[in-house]
Amino acid sequence: MDLFLKNIWHRLSKVVTLAIALSIGLAKANTKEINFNQDIRPILSEQCFQCHGPDAATRKAGLRLDTRDGATHQNNGVAAIDLSNLVNSEFLVRITSTDPDSKMPPPESKRKLSKEQIQLLQQWIAEGAEYEQHWAFKQPIRPTLPTLSSKNKNWIHNAIDYFVSAKHTEEGLTPSPESDRATLIRRVSIDLTGIPPTPKQLESFISDTNPQSYERAVDRLLESPHYGERWGRHWLDAARYADSDGYSHDAARSIWPYRDWVIEALNNDLPFNHFIIQQLAGDMLPNATLDQRIATGFHRNTQINTEGGVDREQFRIDSIYDRIATTGEVMFGLTFGCAQCHDHKYDPISQVEYYRLFAFFNNADEPRIEAPTDEILFQREIREVKIKQLESRISLLTNNQTQLKSLKTELANFKKTQPKAPTTLVMAKRNKPRVTHRFIQGDFTRPAEEVQPDTPAILHPLLKQKKDRLGFAQWVANQNNPLLARVAVNRIWQHLFGKGIVQTENDFGSQGTPPTHPKLLDWLAVEFMENGWSQKNILRLLVNSATYKQTSLINNEIDQDPTNKWISRQARLRLDAELIRDVALNASGLLSPKMGGPGVFPPQPEGCMDLGQHRKTWSASNGEDRYRRAVYTYRWRNTPHPALTVFDAPDGLSACTRRIRSNTPLQALTMMNDPAFIEIAMSLSKRLITEASSTSERIRLGFQLCLNRNPNLEELHILTKLVEQQSKEFTEHTNESNALVEKATAIGQIPQITDNKAEFSAWTMVARILLNLDETITRE
Amino acid sequence: MNLQQSTRRHFFSRCSIGLGSIALSTLINKDNVSAQDSNPFSPNTPHYLPKAKNVIYMFMGGGPSQLELYDWKPELAKQHGNDIPDEFVKGKRFAFMNSSFKQNNKLLGPIKKFNQHGQSGMWFSENIPNIAKIADEITMFRTCKTNLFNHAPAKLFMNTGTGIFGRPSMGSWITYGIGSESQSLPGFVVLHSGPRGPRGGAANWASGFLPTTYQGVPLRGSGDPILNLANPVGVNRKRQRDSIDVINQLNLKRLLATGDPEINTRIASYEMAYRMQSSAPELMDISQESKATLDLYGVNSGKPSFANNCLLARRLVQRGTRFVQLYHTNWDSHGGPGETLTKDFDKVTRDVDQASAALIKDLKAHGMLEDTLVIWGGEFGRTPMSEARQTKGRNHHIDAFTMWMAGGGIKPGNIVGTTDEFGFGAIDQECHVHDLHATILHLLGLDHKQLTFRFQGRDFRLTDVHGEVIQNAII
Repeated sequence: MDLFLKNIWHRLSKVVTLAIALSIGLAKANTKEINFNQDIRPILSEQCFQCHGPDAATRKAGLRLDTRDGATHQNNGVAAIDLSNLVNSEFLVRITSTDPDSKMPPPESKRKLSKEQIQLLQQWIAEGAEYEQHWAFKQPIRPTLPTLSSKNKNWIHNAIDYFVSAKHTEEGLTPSPESDRATLIRRVSIDLTGIPPTPKQLESFISDTNPQSYERAVDRLLESPHYGERWGRHWLDAARYADSDGYSHDAARSIWPYRDWVIEALNNDLPFNHFIIQQLAGDMLPNATLDQRIATGFHRNTQINTEGGVDREQFRIDSIYDRIATTGEVMFGLTFGCAQCHDHKYDPISQVEYYRLFAFFNNADEPRIEAPTDEILFQREIREVKIKQLESRISLLTNNQTQLKSLKTELANFKKTQPKAPTTLVMAKRNKPRVTHRFIQGDFTRPAEEVQPDTPAILHPLLKQKKDRLGFAQWVANQNNPLLARVAVNRIWQHLFGKGIVQTENDFGSQGTPPTHPKLLDWLAVEFMENGWSQKNILRLLVNSATYKQTSLINNEIDQDPTNKWISRQARLRLDAELIRDVALNASGLLSPKMGGPGVFPPQPEGCMDLGQHRKTWSASNGEDRYRRAVYTYRWRNTPHPALTVFDAPDGLSACTRRIRSNTPLQALTMMNDPAFIEIAMSLSKRLITEASSTSERIRLGFQLCLNRNPNLEELHILTKLVEQQSKEFTEHTNESNALVEKATAIGQIPQITDNKAEFSAWTMVARILLNLDETITRE
Repeated sequence: MNLQQSTRRHFFSRCSIGLGSIALSTLINKDNVSAQDSNPFSPNTPHYLPKAKNVIYMFMGGGPSQLELYDWKPELAKQHGNDIPDEFVKGKRFAFMNSSFKQNNKLLGPIKKFNQHGQSGMWFSENIPNIAKIADEITMFRTCKTNLFNHAPAKLFMNTGTGIFGRPSMGSWITYGIGSESQSLPGFVVLHSGPRGPRGGAANWASGFLPTTYQGVPLRGSGDPILNLANPVGVNRKRQRDSIDVINQLNLKRLLATGDPEINTRIASYEMAYRMQSSAPELMDISQESKATLDLYGVNSGKPSFANNCLLARRLVQRGTRFVQLYHTNWDSHGGPGETLTKDFDKVTRDVDQASAALIKDLKAHGMLEDTLVIWGGEFGRTPMSEARQTKGRNHHIDAFTMWMAGGGIKPGNIVGTTDEFGFGAIDQECHVHDLHATILHLLGLDHKQLTFRFQGRDFRLTDVHGEVIQNAII
């Protein structure tokens, strides 16, 4: 008997014994290998941990089922799982009982085990009730690449594809073909920079037959400064960035230097571990630079309640709660916040451990500092020189009163015009440390025992000598952290494929969904850490994979993978709120490439600022600032820009690690009617008229600018008909074209080369239609 | 199977990226009953037979003084000027503890005169003669209790059941739970009046972790009622129709080419947007109402006001909107300038008294009161002790304050809870915010323990782990 058969025989005999023991038919027995983390932990977590889990305070009957010790421990002479008599364990008696008084889970809990779940639990216990540490707490180890058939090997571009292809084979799926060149370049441009290719770039990419052309395009995109704007915004979501205090007054705050720091750090590909350390404790690094201090703005993005009558301590503590929750979600994929009032119900984090984390954050001051730009420093230096000059001249002049007076005036004026530096919010080490207590039920008026800073026992150990915020930061960003790299690569994956390998991107704990491709996740995490924590390298790898390049077309008739769990195609993703605007601005030629600086005020409808306690003004920026990328739009927490909110931009009230993509009539109204979008449509109309002459050329150009492809005959026909009809109607109703042209003239979007008002008006309608198309606001 | 059917099949099996659209489809796609059944995110049919279908929530921003409106305390009047006994305030925390307005332990007798009204002999102050007249329609909750004593956090608590940001508001939970009946208006609408918007702004009607489709849509009292409702310059209704036809035609081609059902939803969205463009102005056009109705509310035509908003709330509910929330400010009666218990309090009661009562009467006249739950109340109440600023006022108070509800299965002419002799705390039947939430959901046919949404591995509820239905408030 060869080894394979032997194994089968071994398994079968085990199953037969089991089946007899449990008096269930062989046909029904599960012949699948039990994997605790895949098969058992999710059941226990969902059905049992609420009462028999890590939370000691609410644990019923002293029984805990999240550890093997707990489950097999004798309790009043009975062990839930009896190792000496497995199949007769009380656990199995209870879950199969029909007596409502002894049945588990109890009927009043509204929880119920399915037949399949009971069978799995029976098999698991019969096979020895082996536990396994939750996958996410185990250090990732780089797995070997799966072996593939030669046919599948042809599809492979890089390591990623090995793992994806192996799953395809297991599930009987075939990958989708590679996308056409136009789709590919639009997809990767939008994913990496948020800005679609120009018609020229598009054409040269399509006609470039060099096999390296795609990789070269990827390299070019990763070097674009717009890369930092695109990926910086993803991080700013998680950092709950906004430009105001929130709560009642929602006062303006200056923290945009932090936003710019993020964009620059990503553009410089600052290694992700340093990226984390600097944001948590950059101020405590030896000889901390201004940039490293600005980075600590990450945890200053909490809201501040300045309304009358507040207890400042209460809100200081609330902001620490927010910092812990955010750190947990963003850097660990763990819900630390659940342990604020009681031990965590599902994951092994106790309430005391929560307050040990609290202690790291408790000893920080929260100042505002000057953050002068290089330009300001330069200006100041020049002025300093001039001031010194004037001062020395004054000191030499003693008798010429007239000249002395004029020099003194000049000096005073000079000092007055010294350029002011912007300020930003940072963390600073507190000299007089605070004592941290556990708070009973998370209520800060009920302090219990004192606690010292420390990290949860379930995670990698903290070096003893560094129990301060910097030590904590280094602990978070340590290679031994089993979660940080996994969570980070999973989010990157999510941005490129629409969902993560772990779909619950902010919960890698026992209640989260297990990874669809655990080996791939670990391979990527290790690759990330071993390759200098370079986000650009991981992105390069991902977008160069065959997996990424697949088409996103859905074949409804033979779809074997309707939820695309196994990534047998790419995903069609509606663009993020900011990109909806950026892409339209770009198509129209209005987009300003200017980077950084204080938030700007693109137009928004009247009255949007009335919805908070104080009516604030929103006077639309003019000139270049009117057309900046939306990552630079000023973000009021209480009265957010409606065109961002309507497309699901996060509110900055708490960390957002995944945006929802809704699809609503309010979005349609925004894109069709918002004066800001009409301004863009007028500019696009002007561009079409100016840059192309015949109707079909203009339509073609419009397609290239908005959809990055050429129209087909049918599309050409539909729009040609529309232009003709609209031209005719606008010619007949001059009042409508006059009104439209008057408006366009007022905002400077009227073409020079034509005085045909009906023509301009008709093309504005075409431009508006193109900007509204689903394909324009979707990355396919 | 045609494309429409086959895309629907997949439409509802997609999980993460189609979530919002799935939610939307359940709001607008009423013909699609069988598909809804297979959609894990579709609004459930209520857990049991609902008493109410709609909610109109008059949110009194700033914290109205129950002691000058509803909770008559003769003992407080008698002991005016005396210190409140220590056992009431020991260990209690109040707003402005650290400010220059030192907490004052002197009791402040009711500033307003009270009279009894209705069959049940409910007490009302002279400031609200019209509300007094609907005594026999309402249940008064005299022992409401909340956890947070600053305005913005307390508003958040009243709306979301927690002071933690990122949780859905009640209106979002309810539209998530039972959907909306409107084909052409949002399911959850917010209106506001008074000198300023509510503190906390958008956080009060946010959808939190629920799909953004369920967030409240602010309706404006002047200009376009819904943002970007009006056609842009040079576009008349026909041109808008022609443009949408072309957009949808091109989108349909893309749908055929890609098979992505999301495009289906986008086409439906453009159709609904077009319908909204005519239904929303029609909604706002209160000139259709009779003079008697306008007079009942005290609507001053063309001027945005609380009265206008109350009338609009009735019109919204009539047209299928599920949850309407009306914010009115400012009730913050500390005693300082603009917040006296005399002149300023009189003004805000004048602003709301007539219209609050009119809404009940009007709903009743339209036969709508029995399935519309009306709620009236603020984020907290005021202390029995005085706060001496420029004049005598009252501080924020969270231990006991008054709210009332009517219609939608609420017992008429009914009082729940009793406060102590000073109106400081409950001596009988405390009604915590969680209990109020549980009761509101119950009236809508929703079990507050079953209306859950899974986020970060946990099933969240509006009532978190608390809440009891207040049985003696309901029919």
